[in-house]
Amino acid sequence: MISPATIERLLVAALAAFLLSVPWSIPALINSFWVSVIAEILIWSLLAASVNLLFGYVGLLSFGQALYFGFGMYGVAIAISDFGWSFWPAFALGIVAAVAMAVATGIFAVRLTWHYFAIITVVFSLIFYFLALTNKWLTGGDDGVNFTLPATFSIGAAQWSFTDPAFQYLFILAIVLLCFWLMHRLVNSPLGHAFLAIRNNEVRASLIGLNVYLLRLIAFALAGFLAGVSGALFAFFGRYASATYMFYHVSGEAVVWAIVGGAGTLFGPLIGTAIFIVVREIVSSHWEHHSLVVGAVAILVVIFAPRGVMGLWRDWLARLADRRVPASVEAKLRTES
Amino acid sequence: MDKLLLLGMNGLIWGLIIALIALGLAVIFGLLDIINLAHGDFFMVGTVLAWATLQWTGNFWLGFLIAPLIGLLLGALIQRVVIQPIQNVAALSIVATFGLSLMLQESVRITFGPTPRRILPPIQGTIPLFGIEYELYRIFAALVAITALAAFFLFLHRTRLGTWMRAVRHDRDTAIAMGIPAHRVYLLTFAIGFALAALGGVVAAPITTVDFRGGVDILPFCFMAVIIGGLGNLPGTAAAAILLSFLEGIIQSVADPTVARIASLVLMSAVLLLRPQGLFKGFTR
Repeated sequence: MISPATIERLLVAALAAFLLSVPWSIPALINSFWVSVIAEILIWSLLAASVNLLFGYVGLLSFGQALYFGFGMYGVAIAISDFGWSFWPAFALGIVAAVAMAVATGIFAVRLTWHYFAIITVVFSLIFYFLALTNKWLTGGDDGVNFTLPATFSIGAAQWSFTDPAFQYLFILAIVLLCFWLMHRLVNSPLGHAFLAIRNNEVRASLIGLNVYLLRLIAFALAGFLAGVSGALFAFFGRYASATYMFYHVSGEAVVWAIVGGAGTLFGPLIGTAIFIVVREIVSSHWEHHSLVVGAVAILVVIFAPRGVMGLWRDWLARLADRRVPASVEAKLRTES
Repeated sequence: MDKLLLLGMNGLIWGLIIALIALGLAVIFGLLDIINLAHGDFFMVGTVLAWATLQWTGNFWLGFLIAPLIGLLLGALIQRVVIQPIQNVAALSIVATFGLSLMLQESVRITFGPTPRRILPPIQGTIPLFGIEYELYRIFAALVAITALAAFFLFLHRTRLGTWMRAVRHDRDTAIAMGIPAHRVYLLTFAIGFALAALGGVVAAPITTVDFRGGVDILPFCFMAVIIGGLGNLPGTAAAAILLSFLEGIIQSVADPTVARIASLVLMSAVLLLRPQGLFKGFTR
């Protein structure tokens, strides 16, 4: 008999194998367009993961993660188009800009919780959205900044760059998997347990000696890191950056993806993002008004799976495990309780 | 000086309309614990209904009756189908109302079309006011908004339904024990929230444009009014909406609208950080 834990481990392995095979299997099975759709899902899932880190593990609902996504994006775009930097320094600038911004705003934001926190993160992201719109000389405003992407690796004459779709996809996959692995390590570390303590009961957490403010700030900076990596990858992927991606709608979508997938679970954000982007891509090729379907999916999921898709899955696994308990043991348990 | 007066007045009147919409958001938020991301779209539906009424009947004034009525019905329907099943869980309400927002916007885009339209003010002409010529319709809009605000507070404090709404917000379990039909109060609250936003939409329609994205800019503004006014403090919400919009109007007389928006947002973060309990805590009750 296979235990639920083994089933999950097998599924993760199958998912990893599938994701690795995408550049070859998807063009053969469907068409190469879907390779870029899956790459896009991977990139956006990091933004959803950044919402999830704050909401699912620390209990802070941020509606402003698009701000750090935007900083990651513009860090890359400005480094390449204005400073003429190469790939890796530009990547680094994007991430550093996002984390620095997260720390600078987090110092104020994490003093507040729940509704107030949600509002102040929106307010901060709106401030910088409007600043980005007005400072066209730097950001290009709504039109954005286009740039040509330098090669990722060049050893002698050999070059690997995003012009090769397979390399582009695998690079994105590697970075995203690395981030999810780091997230996995984080939530199972003492730091991650401290986060959970704060989520479950802030007062108790502070009474056992945890510095709630500092821990929240750390979580906020880490979430800014994830959003920044996501934004930087999206800039590489689209070869441009635009202020529209800093609007609160983008943050809101990430919140929806994280909750639909299952907040507080590692892979929930990936699943939520995948559902929404796949539905959008499939419906939009047949029907112009795909938003109707996307909206209906969001509503149906919260009505029928209030703990997200991962919650539904976990419930199902738990029922499966229950059924396998021998009848005699079950009877004994019942009398004891 | 004239410009300051004009923009200040515009800001004040826009603030009165926003106060109407934000009150709808505040009752839904305060009573149902629903973070309603579709509230801006409720306003937008109001502007579209005003336009549709004008198209079909040729009479703008009917919109003041039809839009809130349809808003009431739509609100009740949405509460039953979407809001009731999620049992007032705030995190889920974000997702559900986000979906609702998408569906409302897309439905309007299908039926009304993607291009923004304008409604001519049904009252043309200007009146002299402190040395400037001011649009008559805006004065009228302000009067409608003030009347609606007054009527809402009278409803809340002087009728049985209003008392029930306040009772359920105050202590749900006791209210149920006293025989108040809480589920019907929830239904009514959501419906009234929609109707207030729709009414705001009709009042605002000749001032702003009618567009399926018209609610997107309104939404954060309304949330800020609710928070700055103090959660659950309805007069505070209305006052905050008027104050915010007035200040933005004043700033617009010396800077361009985006800079004014940034300035008011910065101001708002200061209020949130220094007085998270709301600007008017201690002034009421």
